[in-house]
Amino acid sequence: MISKKVFLFFLVLAFMLGPVWVIQADEAEGTVALPRDDRNKDLDIFFDAEDISDPFEPMNRVFFQVNDKLYFWILKPVSTAYRTVVPKDFRQCFDNFFDNVAAPVRVVNNLLQGKFAGAGIDLSRFLINSTAGVLGFGDPALITFGLEPRPEDFGQTLGIWGLGEGPYLCLPLLGPLTVRDSAGFAGDALLHPGTYVFSNPVDRAAYYSADKVNMISLHPDLYEDMKRYSLDPYISMRQFYLDYRRNKLLDRPVRSNVMINEL
Amino acid sequence: MNYKKLLLLLAVCCCWFPAAAQAVSGPTEQLKPTLDTLIEILLDPALKGEKQKAARRTKIMGYVTQKFDFREMSQRVIGREWKDLPPEKQDRFQVLFTKLLENAYIGKIETYSGEEIQFIGERIKDNRAIVSTQIENNGQWLPVDYIMIKKAEQWMVYDINIEGMSLVRNYMEQFKSILRRDKFDGLVKLLEEKNSTFE
Repeated sequence: MISKKVFLFFLVLAFMLGPVWVIQADEAEGTVALPRDDRNKDLDIFFDAEDISDPFEPMNRVFFQVNDKLYFWILKPVSTAYRTVVPKDFRQCFDNFFDNVAAPVRVVNNLLQGKFAGAGIDLSRFLINSTAGVLGFGDPALITFGLEPRPEDFGQTLGIWGLGEGPYLCLPLLGPLTVRDSAGFAGDALLHPGTYVFSNPVDRAAYYSADKVNMISLHPDLYEDMKRYSLDPYISMRQFYLDYRRNKLLDRPVRSNVMINEL
Repeated sequence: MNYKKLLLLLAVCCCWFPAAAQAVSGPTEQLKPTLDTLIEILLDPALKGEKQKAARRTKIMGYVTQKFDFREMSQRVIGREWKDLPPEKQDRFQVLFTKLLENAYIGKIETYSGEEIQFIGERIKDNRAIVSTQIENNGQWLPVDYIMIKKAEQWMVYDINIEGMSLVRNYMEQFKSILRRDKFDGLVKLLEEKNSTFE
């Protein structure tokens, strides 16, 4: 499948990125191993109450309902139609593309958190995938080089810098957030190339929506499953979100959680 | 003591010590056979399909209840109010909550089709332990942690964390909100309604 030229290109890149790769291999062990003790001092992994601050619950619940309606009236029908027309492989490629475009967000936030190896890995991923991966539609960085993304965002950076989580928020269109993460969202928007490519806010919104629709089309059942299994979906969503973000901040192994990003 | 008696004693010791060793084995060793049996049931062609659902669920729950402590889970999701409840209400709740978990999560794992499961470590703190596993899922590794408590030398699961998200904690927060609003009887009613939606 891969032509000789592309393969040679891989080899050259592998040679150039060798050192980064070695660092990655070292760190990879760390991600598989159990969370380190010093990171867990303050958090009881054996399940004890953690504080949840939700003073805006009544307002949040209204917006949760708004998002729920948006999901069933717009997002779901659009993504279902899209899913039936576009084959899964293509949708996966688009997902890779959206992810690749957002690479500056990850690289800069890795740097801001002093995670230089992580920044190197995401930079390498960006370079490999933008070229050998044909503008980011493929992910040879992962498949051929085993370079797993190190998703860091500005919300986590602020957390590393010592800013508290702040109250929980559920905002229309944006979904679950904390006050810190909404500041993070704004910060990441400044790092996102889309902000500069699209001068028109409508175009930016279209790009953002396309990313979401594509993401939902790849994982169509998550939101509805969550609703099906819960007695109070608002609380369930809030808990999933806070668990997810708190784990990310501690760099525990989590995949990119799609349900959280969907709404 | 004659030769025969000594031999008998030796034989008894040989039979007894491995058993004793097994009884105090670690959480991973105790969890592994349970998961292996679960996988066996899930992959058993005789138990596959919608028709076999009831038989399959009964068999799964039979094994699961040996290693999953639904009493402990019920107590934890209710929280402080648990000890104020009369025993029959506690039992009623445990039945309903177990049924909900069965509906929600056995339903999910029934799609299992031989994906690789790796045990990647355990941590023990006093009488509690966390056993970390990961399961292959569409080419990615999905981290699944089993949180366990030791009761009479038995390690029992009382929570599952999928990607670090605690299942029992999630229900606990929901129930806390419902208990505040609708009290215990309201929660029981909601649970009954929810369970009936899976039938």
